[in-house]
Amino acid sequence: MDKQLFIKSKKIESITFIFDILAIIAYIALFLMLFNLLQLPDLDPISGSMDLDNLEFLTPTYELLGSNLDKWQMNSIISILVIFLVVTFPMLFINIKKNKTRTIYEVDSYAVGSKFVQALINLLTFNFVGAGLRIYNTFILIKFVKGYSPKEFFQSIIPAIKKWFADRKVKKEKINEDTIDEYSASLKRSIRRQNTIGALRMLGTYLFLVLMALIIIIPFYWMVLTSLKTFTESVAINPKFFLSISRWNWVNYKVVLTELNFGLYIKNTVTVAIFSTLGTILTTIFAAYAFARIEFKGRELLFSILIMTMMIPGELYIITNFITVSKNGLGWIGMPTGENKYFLAMIIPFVTSISYIFFLRQNFKQIPESLYKAARVDGCSDFKYLMRVMVPIASPTIFTITILNVFSSWNAYIWPRIITGVGDPDAKNYWLISNALRDSTFVQDSGRVMYNLQIAASALVTVPLLIVFFMFRKYIMNGIGRSGTKG
Amino acid sequence: MELRLENLTKVFTNKTGQETRAVDNLDITIESGTLVALLGPSGCGKSTTLFMIAGLVKPTSGKIFFGEDDVTKLAPEKRGIGLVFQNYALYPHMTVFKNILFPLENMDVPRDEAFQRVKEMANLVGIGELLDRKPSQLSGGQQQRVAIARALVKKPRVLLLDEPLSNLDARLRLQMREEIKRIQRETGITTIFVTHDQEEAMSISDKMVVLDFGKEQQYDAPQDMYNQPDNLFVARFLGNPPINAFEAEVKNKKLIINNKPFMNVNVPDGLYDVGMRPENFRVHEKGFETEIKDIFHIGRDTMIHFEFNGKNVRALVDSDSMTDNQKTVLLTIKPERVYIFDKETGKVVNHA
Amino acid sequence: MRNLIKNVKGFLIKIGNIIKTFFWNVRRIINNFKRKISNFLDKHKINPAGKFPGWAKALLYLSPALIVLAVFTFWPIINSFALVVYENYNMTNNTITGYTIFGNFLRVLTDESFIVPASHTASSAVINTLIIVFISVPISIFIALGVSVALNSIKPLKGFFQTIYFLPYVTNTIAIGLVFAYMFRTDGGLVNQFIGLFGVDTAGLSWVESNAVYWRSMFVLIFYSIWSALAFKIMVFLTSIQGIDKQYYQAAAIDATPKGRIFSKITVPLISPMIFYITVTSVIGAFKIYNAIVALFGVQGAPPGVNYNLQSIVMYIYQFIDGSKEGQLSVAAAGSLILFAIILVLTIVQMQVSKKRVHY
Repeated sequence: MDKQLFIKSKKIESITFIFDILAIIAYIALFLMLFNLLQLPDLDPISGSMDLDNLEFLTPTYELLGSNLDKWQMNSIISILVIFLVVTFPMLFINIKKNKTRTIYEVDSYAVGSKFVQALINLLTFNFVGAGLRIYNTFILIKFVKGYSPKEFFQSIIPAIKKWFADRKVKKEKINEDTIDEYSASLKRSIRRQNTIGALRMLGTYLFLVLMALIIIIPFYWMVLTSLKTFTESVAINPKFFLSISRWNWVNYKVVLTELNFGLYIKNTVTVAIFSTLGTILTTIFAAYAFARIEFKGRELLFSILIMTMMIPGELYIITNFITVSKNGLGWIGMPTGENKYFLAMIIPFVTSISYIFFLRQNFKQIPESLYKAARVDGCSDFKYLMRVMVPIASPTIFTITILNVFSSWNAYIWPRIITGVGDPDAKNYWLISNALRDSTFVQDSGRVMYNLQIAASALVTVPLLIVFFMFRKYIMNGIGRSGTKG
Repeated sequence: MELRLENLTKVFTNKTGQETRAVDNLDITIESGTLVALLGPSGCGKSTTLFMIAGLVKPTSGKIFFGEDDVTKLAPEKRGIGLVFQNYALYPHMTVFKNILFPLENMDVPRDEAFQRVKEMANLVGIGELLDRKPSQLSGGQQQRVAIARALVKKPRVLLLDEPLSNLDARLRLQMREEIKRIQRETGITTIFVTHDQEEAMSISDKMVVLDFGKEQQYDAPQDMYNQPDNLFVARFLGNPPINAFEAEVKNKKLIINNKPFMNVNVPDGLYDVGMRPENFRVHEKGFETEIKDIFHIGRDTMIHFEFNGKNVRALVDSDSMTDNQKTVLLTIKPERVYIFDKETGKVVNHA
Repeated sequence: MRNLIKNVKGFLIKIGNIIKTFFWNVRRIINNFKRKISNFLDKHKINPAGKFPGWAKALLYLSPALIVLAVFTFWPIINSFALVVYENYNMTNNTITGYTIFGNFLRVLTDESFIVPASHTASSAVINTLIIVFISVPISIFIALGVSVALNSIKPLKGFFQTIYFLPYVTNTIAIGLVFAYMFRTDGGLVNQFIGLFGVDTAGLSWVESNAVYWRSMFVLIFYSIWSALAFKIMVFLTSIQGIDKQYYQAAAIDATPKGRIFSKITVPLISPMIFYITVTSVIGAFKIYNAIVALFGVQGAPPGVNYNLQSIVMYIYQFIDGSKEGQLSVAAAGSLILFAIILVLTIVQMQVSKKRVHY
């Protein structure tokens, strides 16, 4: 095992990443540029609203690099860019992780093969430099794994395949030879039966799992599919199950983002999510620390009171909080237009959650007390100990709390609805995505419900979170699983 | 730094009002630069004493002096101590380097000097190459060295170790206790360590404090304590195989064993507890005739079992001085190796 | 070229060191300052926290959380008990016309859309909620258990399936609800297309649109609740099952125990605390169902043009949180308290049952 080759391969892979990232940036830039160029229907001069009924009948032409593209070609190019992004972005992510953690012992023929496949993908996504580097890397790896040049490697494949078949034949013959003894024969029979039952069971299990997976995944597929359809296609009696890339109507997303204001609503939701999560983390860390490490009289009593309030349904709080936040209390809503502080009303009430304090306190308690004593002896103050020792050790839990909080902000509906429904025409600008999805109108003046736009809005709201999920899925799933089991 | 404990007492009161005297009027002076062991059985108060010296436990009464300073009321971080916990208490999420650096971050030390000190200390304890690892990637012995380095890096006045070797396996224990001795000698820091293992304490400490139920039993150099125990408890606690202890009467200044006079002793007549170590017996032609109950050969030594005044007694003698099928043997023992203890106080009476 | 890179690297490292040293010295200064203050206090025997040092520190750390909790959690509890006895509380003027102990409760309990349905509406919030809870919770737990056990028994593709099953958890309820409503459309909806393959006449078969029959729209609602609820349960059950000591299974294997018995006699009892916990929390959660109904049927809580509704208890309560009408908020408070009572009773009942069945 030549360690130098291994290091070289790693270095080249790191350089390849730079080009992968450049390629992705290029795809994104192109996508944004083309997306920007997409033409929307004109605004009605009288009512000011966009004529969406005829959205699908527009035939704009786009001028790009001297040639004229029609709607279908534009769609195709954007679709191709999106496919590139969908393929290369996760690949890059996984590769970076693998490159960091791969040890010298994990490199085998499988690694060579996967590197080669990645080189092909690079080629297909026009990342020529990346493809070249990866092919070079493949050769290095072949040398590393097999100890000889690529030519010999390819030459050795066919004999290797032949050898594999020959081995199997010999094994089969051996099995048939051994059946002399009566007992061993019945033993073999029962083993074979067991294997068959085992195999059938495996098959059944997989079928079940695949069925369940389909039930879960089909709504997502249908969502993305419908979001790219025209209105006529979305209400067709025999809907299409598949669209060709020129029929992917990216203009739907543009309409949803701009004319239907979803860009604003997503921004609102992100703002609320960020600030409420920041506030939650801070208050939870301090409160959990107080309950876990600071000795004070009445600590257990106070904590038990808090636990008991967890049982009370949230609806009860909403009623009074509505009054508190209105002009009878804090004056954040219900004031004349322009004086309302909707964000405050949406964030502050949810900046603390007793269940998070409980959860983090459990985790803090598990950190051995001797660490605290050692820190005390070293002159470390309480606050420093909390920040430099306890928080880092408990970071998985804190991360889980962050995720949970982000999800609950993302799904908030009733509270934003209540506080923006107080008769202020300005309030609509403070809607969160759930409100916008349900309460904004996808119904045209003609009475039609623009399903394709409605579903496109749903997809717009769902896909970012899916991306975040894919990036951090190990942490998220572990965190949620652990939080559930801790009870 | 001389360390002085003045009438140190700690009383614990539990919920039902029961009082336990964990440490009882401990009065000890530990010379600067010595390695002293706090030795005793479980629950004798040695860890409590250590933590009082550290400042993590407040004494009920008494004083603690570091040199001239009365530190009794002083918070731990202000005393200038280094403490090594039994389970090392290393910060799991920090590298070895950061672990050792941690105490220096709270002191007034320039960054370059701090980094220098960490490296020096790491080399001193022998983990210079492991600075980038995390504790979970280290073996037990290495983790302990990191803990020691972390305690020493702030150049404390006193180094305290709480049962440093009990988490290690037997072979490692031998190696590490010599390491502790070496480190202590090189740095010259007054060091106190707590242990329940008398062999460990005897092998490396300059002096030992033996405690039982919070009370000091004896404070001496190991070999002195071994050969001249102050009381029955200390005599029993040290030595492997353990000392033989049995009742005997002294009549007319003669020690009576098995109804025969054994030797002349200079103590008043009466009933006493007598202690004799197995390895101090010798086979001698003018010896005390003893009936052998059992013989065990262990290579170079032979262990003889017999009875003195109804109690089972062992003697460890040279195999050469015994033949296989002896039924009796003639044993002697030096007078200064016979310990006579007062039955009530347990104190030794025939040695000053 | 290599030298250039080395020089740049060295330069960056130098800058990094300068910055780090800067922060280090800042920390030194702060520590010195703290020490001076602490020595000063010690010398003059000033002890600001007095006899209760723990209290002072605890207060400092707890204050942010406690302030928010006091205003938005403790106060609402107290205030709800007050609200519930107000008569005609007017939010704009902050006035009431009197007090009534049971008035608001009676208003809720006798409301025909709450418990006992009127003959023409044929549905009530309580009945709807009970149906949802007692059908969707057992089914989803059952399916989740099955999936977890199946997942636990395979090795390849395990992570792949896990990721897929977890997807519903990371979605927005209303967004996916809209998708479901679209899939169940009468003309051209995916579901009607699918069952049409089996020869069922799907012309005019309405699930969530006008003239949908009660049990069909309820089916969609229950289907969606189960669909969304599976992810969390599967994750928790899987973690629990994976935590079972393999030795139990090995012992059972030696005794040639069939797989069915292994499941019912070993796996299920060993994770029964978890099953219990999930059951309790699922029941409580299902009782509070709201977003899903809004997603499928809008705020009115029913398909258009029908004479029933699919309102849940929570949905019933929310219709009263409207600051403009007098006395509404008190009714909402009464409804919430009744909901709380129902949940409390159910939880206690479940705890009693668990004493027999759950093994710790």
